[in-house]
Amino acid sequence: MKKETIIAIFLGLLFGGIVAIFISFKSKDIELSKNKVIAPPKKNVLSPNVTETEIQSLELSKPANNAIFDKNTTHFIGTAAKDSLIIIQSPIKDLTFKNTQGKFDLEFPLALGENSIKIVVYPKEKQFRPQEKFIKVYFIDSEL
Amino acid sequence: MKKIIQYCYLVTLLYCLLISSFVMAQTPSTTASSSPTVAVDKDIQLLKDKVANKVLEIRKQNNKAISGFVLNIDGNTMKLNNSGDGEVNQVKFDDTLTKVFRILRTTKKEIKTGDIKKNDYVIISGVVADNVITANVVLIDENFLVDSGKITEINKETFNIKVLTSDKNTYSLDIETSTKQYLVNIKTLLEETIGFSKLKEGDTVHFVVKKTSSEKNNDYSAVKILIIPQEYFIK
Repeated sequence: MKKETIIAIFLGLLFGGIVAIFISFKSKDIELSKNKVIAPPKKNVLSPNVTETEIQSLELSKPANNAIFDKNTTHFIGTAAKDSLIIIQSPIKDLTFKNTQGKFDLEFPLALGENSIKIVVYPKEKQFRPQEKFIKVYFIDSEL
Repeated sequence: MKKIIQYCYLVTLLYCLLISSFVMAQTPSTTASSSPTVAVDKDIQLLKDKVANKVLEIRKQNNKAISGFVLNIDGNTMKLNNSGDGEVNQVKFDDTLTKVFRILRTTKKEIKTGDIKKNDYVIISGVVADNVITANVVLIDENFLVDSGKITEINKETFNIKVLTSDKNTYSLDIETSTKQYLVNIKTLLEETIGFSKLKEGDTVHFVVKKTSSEKNNDYSAVKILIIPQEYFIK
């Protein structure tokens, strides 16, 4: 075989290899660009409002834990997710209401002595977990 | 005679002048001496009020309340089992100050410190100093536990339910005839009285139970339950 023939075959193989590698890389890119993105459909993506609800946690500004009162009522003042269901339970009273405003201010009766009270917030978006708070407040009559 | 009349007139005039000047001199001196006394009295009263208010404010600030089961009582001191509620568990009685009451539902009855027994649940209000509370008021009451969770099991023969709370505690609640049972209407959100047959596994339950110092395995007799049906969370 002539020397020129060998060089031509070698160059042919080299060129073919380069073209094969180029095609293989290019086909990968094309395949990736053609693939569908795996993500929840648009209607299931959380809206900015929902994200806000997720951030909005139960904040109870009054009454403070272990607070002492000389009256048989107190006010529950705080904020929680809008349109959530709130349950305030004590041994003498259950209060169930929808938090339409986002803020709440409700009168709550107290029994003489210790009052163990649990507040649970069930967000409107059911995928979120309920938020809970437990407090103890005391009604000590000033006449005692 | 004329002279005598003139003298008499002069003497009378002088006398009148003297009297009037004396009276005029007295009047201002009276007002001058009384007004500062009134002002001082007012200042004293104001100061007294301020001191009283400050004392009340400080007393309110230092006034604390603790509660727990009586571990032991010895004369003028008492120790409580209130782990988790804070460090203060030593109580001191003041013979002249401390008042003790037993709460009977909505009424209270005054008793003596000697009537307090071991395992009584007591609520103490007083001033804390050096981790010791000097009791102004001691109330003997019942201890209530308020919690919520999901019903995981219902036993219709023994009228018992098992509840799993969010902090992974399991409670076994006996539903007695005296147990108040309510259900939240998912449309109106009003509470309705229900019977045991309405309870379903998977429902959310808010409950109140009476605690004593002797319970084991979280077994309680329910005082009150409030059910949120699972349908509320599906709708």
